[in-house]
Amino acid sequence: MISELLINAFLVTIMLSIAIALIKTRTVIFTVILTSAYSLVAALMFITLDAVDVAFTEASVGAGISTILFLAAMAYLPKKEEESISSEFIPALSCIILGGILIWCSYDLPEIGQFTAPIHQHIAPEYIKGSKEDIGIPNIVTSVLASYRGYDTFGETIVVFTAGVAVLALLQKKDPAKKNKSQPKQKIRKNA
Amino acid sequence: MHNNPILRISTKILFAPIILFGLYVQFHGDFGPGGGFQAGVIVASAFILYSLVFGIETGKKLFPSNINLILLALGGIIYGGVGIVSMLLGDEFLAYNLLGSSPQSGQHIGILLVELGVGLTVSNVMIALFNAFASYDNIKEK
Repeated sequence: MISELLINAFLVTIMLSIAIALIKTRTVIFTVILTSAYSLVAALMFITLDAVDVAFTEASVGAGISTILFLAAMAYLPKKEEESISSEFIPALSCIILGGILIWCSYDLPEIGQFTAPIHQHIAPEYIKGSKEDIGIPNIVTSVLASYRGYDTFGETIVVFTAGVAVLALLQKKDPAKKNKSQPKQKIRKNA
Repeated sequence: MHNNPILRISTKILFAPIILFGLYVQFHGDFGPGGGFQAGVIVASAFILYSLVFGIETGKKLFPSNINLILLALGGIIYGGVGIVSMLLGDEFLAYNLLGSSPQSGQHIGILLVELGVGLTVSNVMIALFNAFASYDNIKEK
């Protein structure tokens, strides 16, 4: 119990310091790197909650690929963020109020891992039993994701597909023009 | 970046193990942590690493854009196709029980195919996004 508390306190301290550093930094590349580090600590946080699948996703998507995509997109941004002219008082105040409300509400949540919590009584026992008997797959997360909640995952896949196609449609508008320019260049290189 | 020998050689050494690990995560998702989303990202990262080190044009020779776009759509088609096949067999959309000889093997086949669809779409969307961002500069200059 004490060790769990220490680990959580350690992770939360790192997350807080990364968040403060994120507010302070004005260089875009540091922002990207710090966001990646934040995702990695969040992945560790999920491991302490025994959510290995979520931790895996957070580490590979949040810390891995999104950092690369941010870096690729960063090339088109100015190197430094402009100093904001407007006052930072109202955003800070609203963040503090929202955070306070969330902390206040969290006292009404059941304890983590408590068996009598409503979330563990509703449909979860059926899934845990059914995953073994009806589907025969040891990883309950996979059976919920792909079988019980197959519609949702279908929707997620289509969302990823749509997002990709939308970005391609926006960025590849002038592709034929580019092809005409780059083809003669390659020919020259081949001859040489 | 393609003049640095350390990057070149370590990329060549790492490329195959990354893809192998991606396939492991993809097809072992029933038994351990993992699945289509994670595996797709891991496989995509191998191709992106290759493009980063050897240049975007070499990366496109390894994995041509038209194949990338076909596979991108194929993932969603596989997922939806499994649902439609299960409908044609007389069950509900995306109910896998009738796909195999027994309900359990049907579920196994269904989940495997569905995860494959997810993995294909996710990895190809990531590669396509990276290629789009990386080649955008040339387009803008013109």
